[in-house]
Amino acid sequence: MERFLQYLFDGLSIGSVYALLALGLVIIYRGTGHLNFAQGEMALFCTYVVYQLGEWGIPIGFALVIGVAVGFALGAVVEVTLVRPISKKSPFAVFIVTIGLFQGLNWLDGAIWGDQILPNSAVSKQANFPTLFPSKDTDFVTILGAAWRLKYLGVLVLVLVLTAVLFFVFNKTKLGLAMRAVASNPESAKLVGIRTNRVLMFSWGLAAAIGALGGVVFAGINNSVNLGLMFTVFIYSSAAATLGGFDSPGGAVIGGLAIGVIENMGAGYFPEWIGQELKLGVALFVIVVVLLVKPSGLFGTAKVERV
Amino acid sequence: MSLLEVSTLRAGYGPVNVLVDLNLVVEEGEIVVILGSNGAGKTTTMRAISGMIARSGSITFAGQSITKSSPDAIVRAGIAQVPQGRGTFPELSVEDNLRAGAFVRNDDEIDEDLAHWFEVFPRLRERREQRAGSLSGGEQQMVAIARALMSRPKLLLCDEPSLGLAPLITQELFGIIASLNRDKGLSVLLVEQNANLAMKIARRVYLIETGRIVASGSSDELSADDSIRKAYLGF
Repeated sequence: MERFLQYLFDGLSIGSVYALLALGLVIIYRGTGHLNFAQGEMALFCTYVVYQLGEWGIPIGFALVIGVAVGFALGAVVEVTLVRPISKKSPFAVFIVTIGLFQGLNWLDGAIWGDQILPNSAVSKQANFPTLFPSKDTDFVTILGAAWRLKYLGVLVLVLVLTAVLFFVFNKTKLGLAMRAVASNPESAKLVGIRTNRVLMFSWGLAAAIGALGGVVFAGINNSVNLGLMFTVFIYSSAAATLGGFDSPGGAVIGGLAIGVIENMGAGYFPEWIGQELKLGVALFVIVVVLLVKPSGLFGTAKVERV
Repeated sequence: MSLLEVSTLRAGYGPVNVLVDLNLVVEEGEIVVILGSNGAGKTTTMRAISGMIARSGSITFAGQSITKSSPDAIVRAGIAQVPQGRGTFPELSVEDNLRAGAFVRNDDEIDEDLAHWFEVFPRLRERREQRAGSLSGGEQQMVAIARALMSRPKLLLCDEPSLGLAPLITQELFGIIASLNRDKGLSVLLVEQNANLAMKIARRVYLIETGRIVASGSSDELSADDSIRKAYLGF
């Protein structure tokens, strides 16, 4: 039981990070119909920015706000300068552009911060990547014998609160109505006077901002940031969005948590068969099974239209 | 001053001009119908007035030029379009479809208007929580019309509302459009292939062929004209 709970807690916390990235993927997919391959790398860039701000002595709360704002700006600029003009010519080409962006951003991170684990004692003033939550070895709660470190638990709480806020924005505000209208029928959205271009720019910005938050909290769990940090997270998030349904924000969160738990249970209960090395295989396996059994995902909508 | 004045309008898609030199006028309180066959440029005319496609020439609405205005500015000015094929938001509830129609408004009477249009379209009230995509064709057309009216337009553009609907339902819809015009003074520009019904509710008619207006007049005049009757009314 303890072991089960331990895997469950770890899975939920790591899964929260997948949920954040998956939320970003879903927001973009709903808005413009693209899979943003650079979602993880956009988040990684912001994570490095937060590291750098920490080096300059800026407290994590403030640094996080700046990092998220940088994420929003990055997403909005990418939509306006790359996605919009190119999708007019060929929607498929946007996917290639996001792959290019994936490569380019990773190269940029490497050029600025180098191919090393940061912080490290040779170049950094900080001992650990800054985290929002209490992170000493003694900061944990014990539930039925299983320990839940506060910095892990905090991430889950953060994600649940953020999900509630997003749910409110999507369903109860005019901005959310505009986003849903644009996702449903962009042509008609224009006809009722919605500035669809602004909504799409905002959607990409929001997705990247949420991703940035995911990157920073993941680096906090991981104690450090490096060039490969977000790559596997992106694969897991894609699995999460596939599982939850690519057009369902709620599904992305549940999918993210589920993938985190499945991955940790798989690795924990079958250490020789799956273990740490094959964890990623679990995510890919989930993608394949979902696509075979229920391609629209658990909470996604298969298109219904009567004419 | 006419409510809508379109003169020497050219518009189309990319390098192809569908409309070459289009002129028409809608007076305040009128129902005007544009008749024409497939590909004559009816939908293009509507999309040009709504600001959805590139256009040149002159479009004036209530004394203001809207030739270069963006679609949202045109909705704010008081023109709402019911697009061809209904164009509802299929994943959104009926109520959210109507609320989206009021997107450009900032006043606090949106809930009242919502209640009002649910009075006019009681079938929509029954289905207000349902996804619009699950409604029948006629109901979806009502959603599209009610959505357009939620912006409190002075001029309603209707692009082939009868398309794909049973004759009885078309009749009901035309009845509603006629009563909106009669009771609330709503001006309507209607595009139709179904000439019989449209000419009954319209005061004036334009005939469009390959991007030009080729004839115009009152409904009575045009339905009395033999060649026009044969071509468009089929009797």
